[in-house]
Formats: sequence, C-alpha cells, structure tokens
Amino acid sequence: MKSAQQTSTLGRGFRLGRLGFSLVGSYLGYQMQNLLLGEGDLARRKARLQQNASRQVREELGALKGPAMKLGQMLSLQSGALSVDALAELAQLQMQAPGMHPSLARAQFKSALGTYPEEAFRQFDPEPFAAASLGQVHRAVTHGGENVAVKIQYPAIRLAIENDCRLLRSATLPTRLTGHVPGALMDEIQRGLLEETDYLREADNLDFFRAGLSGLPYVTVPRVYRQLSSDRVLTMSFIPGKTFSDWLQAKPAQPARDELAARLIELYETQQRCLRRLHADQHPGNYLFLPDGGIGLIDFGCVKSVPFDVVELRRCYRQRVWQESEAAARKYLSLVCGPHVPYARARRLLPLLEQMADIVYPPGASADRVIDFGGEADWEQRMKPVQAEYRKRLLRDKLINPDFAFLIRADMGLHHLLHQLRARANLSEIWRRVDRAQTRGES
Amino acid sequence: MKKKTNRARAVRPAGKRTQNKAKTKQAILAAALALFAEKGFYRATTKEVSRQAGVAEGTLFNYFKTKEDLALYFFEQEQAEIIRWYAGDRRVQRAPLVEKLFAIIQHLLDRLTPYEEFIGAVYLRALAPASKLRPWSLQSQAQNLRYLKFIRGILAEAETDGDIPRVGDFGAYAFGLFHLAIITYWLQDRSRGKEQTLALLDRCLKVGSHLLKQGGWDW
Repeated sequence: MKSAQQTSTLGRGFRLGRLGFSLVGSYLGYQMQNLLLGEGDLARRKARLQQNASRQVREELGALKGPAMKLGQMLSLQSGALSVDALAELAQLQMQAPGMHPSLARAQFKSALGTYPEEAFRQFDPEPFAAASLGQVHRAVTHGGENVAVKIQYPAIRLAIENDCRLLRSATLPTRLTGHVPGALMDEIQRGLLEETDYLREADNLDFFRAGLSGLPYVTVPRVYRQLSSDRVLTMSFIPGKTFSDWLQAKPAQPARDELAARLIELYETQQRCLRRLHADQHPGNYLFLPDGGIGLIDFGCVKSVPFDVVELRRCYRQRVWQESEAAARKYLSLVCGPHVPYARARRLLPLLEQMADIVYPPGASADRVIDFGGEADWEQRMKPVQAEYRKRLLRDKLINPDFAFLIRADMGLHHLLHQLRARANLSEIWRRVDRAQTRGES
Repeated sequence: MKKKTNRARAVRPAGKRTQNKAKTKQAILAAALALFAEKGFYRATTKEVSRQAGVAEGTLFNYFKTKEDLALYFFEQEQAEIIRWYAGDRRVQRAPLVEKLFAIIQHLLDRLTPYEEFIGAVYLRALAPASKLRPWSLQSQAQNLRYLKFIRGILAEAETDGDIPRVGDFGAYAFGLFHLAIITYWLQDRSRGKEQTLALLDRCLKVGSHLLKQGGWDW
C-alpha cells in the first residue's frame, strides 16, 4: 500500500529532494539520506518524539551528524535555551560518518595506500568493529603478527564537508548579519572538521600524547604504524579494552568507579596543565577500559591547545581576584571573554561570576570535600539557573571567548562522564597530585 | 583403440594452433597497451606495436585490422575477466545486491587504472559516428551482450530473493548505461585516489536500490 507521501505532489517533491540530496556529493545530504531512507531510523525517530524536548534536540542534532550537527551543538551550548543536563548531553555528541560495506572500505583503503588490505596485512577483518568520526575501524594483523586497528575514512568526506559548510554559510547569513552566529564560529567549525579529515595529523597527535602521557602508567595511547597509514587510513596498535557502556554493564563496585573517576580526572588535568593540549571531545567513545583498571585513550582527530593557564584561572576564580583591584578584574575578564571585549561590557558579568563562585567555593568551606558526581548535589541545583543566566549574558552581550567556551564544553563533557559513572572524587587531592607531577616534570 | 589415438593426434595440432593464436593475440594486446601508456593511443603506430610484440606488421593485421579492433578486444578481455573474478569470489557473491554491483564496477575500474589515458582516447573515438567503438555499433553490442547477460543474472537472483521488484532486461540495460556514466566520471575525477568516484558510485547504488525497493520508478 502506498502512503500519502508517496502519491501526493508534496511526497514526490520530497522524494526528489531526497534524491537530489543524495547525489550532490554532500556529507550532510548523505546523512539526510541515511536518516530518511533507513527504516530503523524512522522507527527510532518516532520513539524520540515521545521523549522530552532537550532529548529531542540532542537526538535530532545527533542524527544530522557532520557540520550541521557541530553548528547546532555549538549554538545550543551558547544559546541558554536548554537545561544544563541537555547541554551536557549535547557536549557528548560525536560526529559519525555513514557506514561502509566491506567492498567500499577495501576500495577506499586501496585508494589511500595503493594496495588492498589483504595484501598489506596478514589478516584483515572486512567487517568493522567500531564506528569512528568520519570513518570506521577494522581489526587486522600485520605481517609481523601484531594486532592493529585500522581506521578507514569515508571517501571524499573532505569535499563533502567543504560543500556543507558553504551551504551552512548561506543558510546562516541572516543570523550572521545580526551577530547571533559569529562568522568566526563558522570558520572554527570548518577548520576543526577539516582538521579531523587529516589522519596524518591525528597520527602526530597520537605520537604527542603517547610521549606526553607516558608518566601515567595506567594510560595506553595506541602506537601508529606510519608505513600502513596515510591521510585517509590510520593503522594503530589495538587496545583490547571495553567500551564505557560495556564497562558499566558489568556493574562495577563503588570503589572501582571512584578509582576510575580519579584517573579520568587526573588524565584530564594532566592534558590541560602539562601538555596544554586536550581531546576536544570528552566523549565516552574516546576511552577504552582495560581489565587491570587501565584507560586506553583513542581517537585523537580533534585536539585543541589550551592557550591559557588553567590553574591560574581556577585560582583567580576561587580567590575572587576581581574584588582585589580593577587591574586584576581586567586580567581575569580578558581570560573569560577574550582580549577584544571592552572591559566596560565584560564587567557586567562580575555579579554572576560572584554568585557562581559563592556556590562552587562557599566562603569558609573546605576545599578537600568529596564530590558525589552521581547525586544531584545541592550546589548543582543552585548553580543551574545562574549558569543559564551566565550563558544568556555571554550570547546577548557578545562576550564569547572561543577558547574559554571550548574549555567549558570539555569540562561539561567530563562532568557528564563522571555523572554517568556515579562516582565520588576529591578534586583538590587529584589536582595536588597533578601539581606534584607537573613540578617533577618541570624540574 | 587405434582410431582413438589417430583422432587424438589429429586434434592436438589444431588445439596448439588455437593456443598459439591466442598467445600471439595477447602478446600484441600487451605490447599495444604498454605503448599506449607510454606514447598515447593516437601517437603509437601499428609498426611500433608489431615491433614491440615481436611479430610482423602483416601478422598484426591478421589479428587486428585497426586500433579500434584492438580496443574492442581489450574490453572483451576485461569483461570476461570480471565474469571470471565474480565466479571465483564467494564473499562478493553472498553480499547484498548494492555491494555486489559496487564491487563489480570497482573491480573493473581498478583493472582499468593503468590504462586511463587509453580508455579516455577510446571514449573520444567512440563518439565518431563511423566508429566500431560507439555503444550502438554491432561489434560493441555483440560484445556487451555477454556482460549484460551476466548482470541480468545477478539482478534475477535479487528478484528471486525478493530484494528488488522485477526489473527484467531493462534493469541490466539501465545498469550498463550507469556503468558507462561512472567510467566517464572516473575519467575526469581528479580527486586523491579517485575517491569521489567511489563515493558517487556508493551513493547512486544505494539510492537506486532504495527506489527499486520502494516500488520502482513510479514517482
């Protein structure tokens, strides 16, 4: 039986449009096609309608994937229209390329490396075992007998992203004219996405983090096989760990959860402070959990440098340096809002910062308290309306410093991960541990 | 018993002659392809081809009257090779229809890669009204028929399995035209490793298959 959609003029237009989307070579178009064509997706989308609004936004953006998803994610994070929980969920979204059947993955491997996977490896599994942003990952064994993970990028994704960004630029022209979507934000999205398409860059990131995190014995960063890698194929040592959801399914005891949380926080802090570079997506998919309690860190496609001193920023916030002098206030606000925002405008944030500092660091309270990330702590409840107002103000008064916004997003991602872990942690104690390691490293 | 032996003796020389002929034909084709790759389709002369193949120019004309005949023989060989390869690859045979068709075209493109310039020249030549290479010439059609029958067989399997509605011979012809269009796109594709062709091929096949599953082209 044909549906109304199939027989009506509108339905025909819809199908034509859908076909057009599929043929223009656009990544966004491809995602739309996948979304519209997949019967499973359709059922999922129907189910989603029954969930709450925040959830819908996250799911819809997630389904779009690609640049449109990234843009939506960034706008939502800055709009103040969504709850903190929804924002935390948004921060978890990851781009995902369409799946490739074995023949396509094999052809793309040959296109990138000039040889077929069955020639390059002793064994190659044609079925992927994981999805990655912009591609998929296959297991293989090298001719030397080493187990490796081979990440293969979806063909022509770079061009598709460029096309999508052009499309998004046209679509967001009115909002860019009114200043609601800064042009720099579009540039940032495009730059970030295109960077992710270069697997050689990711290989460099892997080498950097592998060396930089060698001081943390529980962290494993994959080794790159350069001779079996190119800008579109990345061969790395295989890490036999569990995914976050699998790890949680085993119902680990509270001490194990707390220990893992402490390690995740230490790892995050070490990246920020010692390496001054950070995984741009604090997503569970970027971690693997080893049987001995170790953590495998994967997917280094999107890495961002931290251009300011996080410890100094935190100290200023805790000590409320803006109360000390105007010079101190200027310095602090230039960190939060960026150096180009006039002080007169930026200082409107001060009352809100004051309120937030009173909640996070109550005067006279011990810094060494254990925070229960699983429970809805009182301070979190009080924080939500202030944070919402803070984000609204950032957008309305155009006080956004992209670097700082990025850090907030990364913090939010980690916080959400700890919340899902239902872990308890003493942040100050972990920070002191990182301090000591940093001092040792510097000396 | 004696009779049988005589018959065997009588057959053997003829088989050998056929084998030798096929060998010579292959040698000429290999020499021609190497020269086309080196000098281009138009600049390579039959004299050079015969010298490279180690045969007299007259012998070359016994096998191929023109360079177009050489090109036709090349495509015939490639089409036969696809059919042989498909018959030997059980994984592809068991794959879903979209992947099967993708693998067939990709396998051919992969084999054509060393001769890209030659294929481009043949395509241009095929536009001439009197060319044997044009798709509707009798020689071309006779050759394509074997390939179309092979594709028809694959589509018929999908019809029997209920993957697609009945498309009949039209389906094979449509796929043949699509195949030509993809080769044309591939020839002008300047992306790294011709990855744009891979993406286009994948998307077109997925959309085409979906439309067929939705009830054909009745929209």
